[in-house]
Amino acid sequence: MTNMPAEKSLDMDQYMDGVVAGKVPEPNTTEKDYRSNSLARLTMRRIFRQRNAIVGGIMLGLLILVAIFAPLIAPYDPEEVLIGKEEVSKRDSPCIHLLGCPEDQPQHILGIDGNVRDVFSRVIYGTRVSLFIGFTTVGFAIIVGTLLGAVGGFLGGWVDNIIMRFMDVLLAFPSLLLAIAIVSVLGRGLQNALLAIAIVTIPVYARVVRASVLSVKEQEFVSASRALGGGQFHILFLRILPNAIPPLIVQGTLGIATAILEAAALSFLGLGAQPPTPEWGTMLGSERNQVFTAPHLVFFPGLAIMITVLSFNLLGDGLRDAIDPRLKQ
Amino acid sequence: MKHKPLFIFVSLLVLASMVLAACKPAVKPVVERAYEEIAYSEPLALEAPSCDYGGKIKSIKALDEFTVEFSMCKPDPAFLAKAAFTPFGIYPREWLESYANTEGKETLLSHPVGTGPFYLESWNRGDSVVFKRFDGYYGDKSPYETLIFKWATEGAARLLELQAGTVDQITNLSPDDFDTVKGDANLTFLPVANPNILYLAMTNTFAPFDNLKVRQAIAMGIDRQRIVDNFYPEGSEVASHFTPCSIPNGCQGESWYEFDPEGAKALLAEAGFPDGFETAIYYRDVFRGYLPEPGLVAVEFQTQLRDNLGIEAEVVVMESGEFIDESTNGRLDGFYLLGWGADYPHVTNFLDFHFGATNPQFGDPFPEIYEVLEEASQIGDAEQAGALYVQANNAIKELVPMVPIAHGASASAALATIENAHFRPFGAPLFNLVDPGKDTFVFMQNAEPISLYCADETDGESLAPCQQVNEGLFEYAFDSGDVEPRLATGCTANADSTVWTCTLREGVYFHDGTKFDANDVVVSWTAGIDASSPYHIGNTGSWEYYSYLWDGLMNVQE
Repeated sequence: MTNMPAEKSLDMDQYMDGVVAGKVPEPNTTEKDYRSNSLARLTMRRIFRQRNAIVGGIMLGLLILVAIFAPLIAPYDPEEVLIGKEEVSKRDSPCIHLLGCPEDQPQHILGIDGNVRDVFSRVIYGTRVSLFIGFTTVGFAIIVGTLLGAVGGFLGGWVDNIIMRFMDVLLAFPSLLLAIAIVSVLGRGLQNALLAIAIVTIPVYARVVRASVLSVKEQEFVSASRALGGGQFHILFLRILPNAIPPLIVQGTLGIATAILEAAALSFLGLGAQPPTPEWGTMLGSERNQVFTAPHLVFFPGLAIMITVLSFNLLGDGLRDAIDPRLKQ
Repeated sequence: MKHKPLFIFVSLLVLASMVLAACKPAVKPVVERAYEEIAYSEPLALEAPSCDYGGKIKSIKALDEFTVEFSMCKPDPAFLAKAAFTPFGIYPREWLESYANTEGKETLLSHPVGTGPFYLESWNRGDSVVFKRFDGYYGDKSPYETLIFKWATEGAARLLELQAGTVDQITNLSPDDFDTVKGDANLTFLPVANPNILYLAMTNTFAPFDNLKVRQAIAMGIDRQRIVDNFYPEGSEVASHFTPCSIPNGCQGESWYEFDPEGAKALLAEAGFPDGFETAIYYRDVFRGYLPEPGLVAVEFQTQLRDNLGIEAEVVVMESGEFIDESTNGRLDGFYLLGWGADYPHVTNFLDFHFGATNPQFGDPFPEIYEVLEEASQIGDAEQAGALYVQANNAIKELVPMVPIAHGASASAALATIENAHFRPFGAPLFNLVDPGKDTFVFMQNAEPISLYCADETDGESLAPCQQVNEGLFEYAFDSGDVEPRLATGCTANADSTVWTCTLREGVYFHDGTKFDANDVVVSWTAGIDASSPYHIGNTGSWEYYSYLWDGLMNVQE
């Protein structure tokens, strides 16, 4: 760096970010120009050019708002049994006054479930549960997977071998089956289901991070950092990992969709969230027998799962298209 | 007489045929056997060393080839009704001697041999059980050749199969489907008149259910009418007593507690739980007439316990076999939802089975209940026994071993083209009486049988197929709880009903071609009732019906 003109010198981190973004600052580039072409800005610009990402992001934003403001949106407590409180009965069809349902009947826009509870309120509160499941499981899996993948990829040798062979073993099992096995050992319940799903998804993130670390650690700015006397910890966590994160973001976004689906599957099987928790998979499972007699009881929770998973998938696809350098325009 | 040689030849031929026919069994075996037939030579007998073991059976003796004598330690007026029950079916002596051992257990549990109207052709695990008509059956032969049992746990799936015509009759129609079936001209709605009870059970060996006030508070704190109104089909009723009123002496004594949430809360506070406590509600997700929607009812109990009593109960669904094993052995530490469909039309089937001295399912049995029941069960005249059942039912109400909830109405359905489609009040349908107008009849039930050796089974899904293969001395009538002769042509009792002498049907053959005689009866009953018998090997090992209905097994080692 010593041969760089003093008046044009850049902060080391900015310089490194520029290198990774493929935009090595020219000596005559001003700081303002450089910032306008930073990785984050470029990425955001690319994301906003992706229609999938925008649609997915909007859908997800709405879902997050629904989850946050569930008590304001839902007309009833999701666990409230309406027997004796309203003139409703088990598995009543949706009643919407605007669509011709008599005014003297209480309005339940998604109908009444088998335990005489308002389905709309349960679906709304179910958003909280599902998003919580998605973010916590993937968050946990990303933290553990990143640590394992980064350490393995950076240190290499026998450490890498042990970690990755263990990950290979985990990957060899179908994820849902492995999750069922883990829940069977730990016991049923939402907490254990979350842990099971997180455990089975760790290898995915460990692999992604390891691959990124392996490619990034060979780059010149890492060598430069090492030459400047940077320690192992410093190089791994402050130089390599920040540059290995983009693929992880894509994988994590798509992974949330999978986690929500797997949690719903576990709950459907009676291994995940337990009654009376308003979880969509549990709602589907408890009324699966009514698919012909009361289809609204399986349709709406199913639709909610579909919309949530779709939003994460669209967002994930958009992010991948925006971030993956191979797809750069 | 120029045809004299021809006449002699034909006569000799006829004579030879008769001799050959006499040497061969009268009925061709339809099931392969790897053992030799043991002809009746000397009568076998089983005798308890004394009546101190507490059971009812003192001895079972073959008096001659077709006479058996049952001696009882104490009178049992319900002997015939009990003996007609499926677990007391008769097996060939040779078959039991060959397979009732550790090596032969797999065959014992999966390849039954009996005298019934059908024999087992194959059990295709996970798919179906296939039976064929037994042409050597002495009674009403099936008009069709093949009977198939299939299963589906979901009520909607069963109805769908019926509507599609892939099965001919289904069991346990979902209450929501009653109107669909009634309104479909292609289907026949078959109400099931089997008396039953759903109860919310507790095990008094676990805290806080060891506290009488807690149990009484729970008895008062459940709105049973709300459960019946919202989760049971029309025709169901809130249980005033444990036994349905259609059973003589069932409804003697005081009715159950009225719903009183305030009183219940006060009682719970008095017991030291003013804010309730945490526990679990265990159940199995299996449709029964007494519990048509197990999951929903479990959640309703969860809601009521929380709202009315402050009790936080986690709902836990268990695998059916494990649930039955854990609950009936008193190992569940919370509430559990279980019920009972009558096996035979006598109050002892409800009360003695559940509250007898040897049943641990509610924890430690209550002497205040079982001592009265034992006395009552020895009285033949229902009216005379009435006073004792008043006492027993009042004791049940006072001690609250469980909370009786509902007597459920249930139904079966069949294709309209099936002639004589039925569902008996007691026992599975008699499929040899059904005429589908084709060569195959397919029956769909809730679940796969656990085993097909029903001497040691309580599972209804096992008893139904067993009944097609094995017969007992008696059988329940087509449309009532009366008993009809089967392998016995009749039984006579002495004056105090302590000795029952049964005359057996002659000319009956098992599916393996062996001839039925009195020793088959003695060996079949010995396998069930004598714990020291080498043939006392079955699926569960608990021999519940032999134990409970006859007050215990003989020669049980402590």
